[in-house]
Amino acid sequence: MSTDTSTKTSTKRAPFSLDTWAVIVAIIMALAVKFDIFKSVPW
Amino acid sequence: MASITSLSRVDSENHPLNMLSVVPGVLLLAGIGFAGKILERSINSYAKTHHRIFPNVEYVLWAIIIGLLISNTLTIPKLFQSGIATYEFFLKIGIVLLGARFVLADVLKLGGISLALVVIEITVSLALMTLLGRLFKLKPKLTSLLAVGSSICGVSAIIAAKGAIDADDEDSSFAIAAILALGALALFTFPVIAHGLHMNDVSYGLWAGLGVDNTAEATAAGALYSDAAGKVAVLAKTARNAMIGFVVLAYAIYWAGRGQADKVTSKAAFLWKKFPKFVLGFLLMSLLVGFHTFSKPQVASLGNLSKWAFLLTFAGVGLRTNFRDMSKQGLRPFIVGAVGEVLIAGLTLGLVVGANRIWGL
Repeated sequence: MSTDTSTKTSTKRAPFSLDTWAVIVAIIMALAVKFDIFKSVPW
Repeated sequence: MASITSLSRVDSENHPLNMLSVVPGVLLLAGIGFAGKILERSINSYAKTHHRIFPNVEYVLWAIIIGLLISNTLTIPKLFQSGIATYEFFLKIGIVLLGARFVLADVLKLGGISLALVVIEITVSLALMTLLGRLFKLKPKLTSLLAVGSSICGVSAIIAAKGAIDADDEDSSFAIAAILALGALALFTFPVIAHGLHMNDVSYGLWAGLGVDNTAEATAAGALYSDAAGKVAVLAKTARNAMIGFVVLAYAIYWAGRGQADKVTSKAAFLWKKFPKFVLGFLLMSLLVGFHTFSKPQVASLGNLSKWAFLLTFAGVGLRTNFRDMSKQGLRPFIVGAVGEVLIAGLTLGLVVGANRIWGL
């Protein structure tokens, strides 16, 4: 979830929040499944 | 408390994509999760070959128990800690991918029911926790944090609210410890109560999603009951998470009005910043599957990827729960949290039973 360590810290901000990264990684995984890079994921 | 907060989440601004430092902890999560899976399989196959009947303990519980044993009996070296904290990152990946296992119509139906129940749950929980905080004479901002944590989504909501209302580190540590301890208790009590009441998967999933505060614990509590209940728990919890921005905004405006927090300049920007983006990812994935973007075997693969991500999450839930650290946080916030949580669990159970009668879940 987005958090707000925001303005009070002088740390360099990352371009995306953790949430957004999670969505990006999940979409990349979904694309890998769609285009058969991950052919069949076992459980 | 440092150990609780340091393991409880990954700072969004310094997130875990600093790859090398997280490798040992991620490997530990994977090792524990996989050990849980192997234990479940081995015990079941032993029971089958020797014609014995053992209660089926799922990998979810094994992963949590192994994690709990490690974190409460050993000192986890610092080397592992940043990797262990990535369990929330895997939780969110798992939730987005789980969207593939929902037909959009189900998301709309169950999500709609969940949202209606969430609004009632949040309203009553906020009022109840505020009242309890006053009764037990807790500091007002600590009461606000406990109210936000128990009504919406645990640790994430507390951290989001902490910055917005300018609360002390100590207050947020108290609130986080109380919510985490109660989440750990809920993991073991919710499934037992639900089995006693013979709840069906959908009703139980809704109850776990509405009644258990932290998203990781709600997901685990659902999965402990059944796979189907786990899915519904995530959906209900996601609907609850979607409300975080509105509640935190209300608190930010309240405390700014009292001159004890920064003014909110742009409400829309504030809401977008606090909105959990993985909710959008979950809906997107469900939409893509609804438009037949993926074949059936591909949907099954996406579901399995989601399970793998959750496996790491469950290991993290166990590893992050350190009862010794939690016990150091003082009794009053815990009592307020516990009384509130028991009442909220009763309320949400009543709501779900009512919804089941009306909509036939």
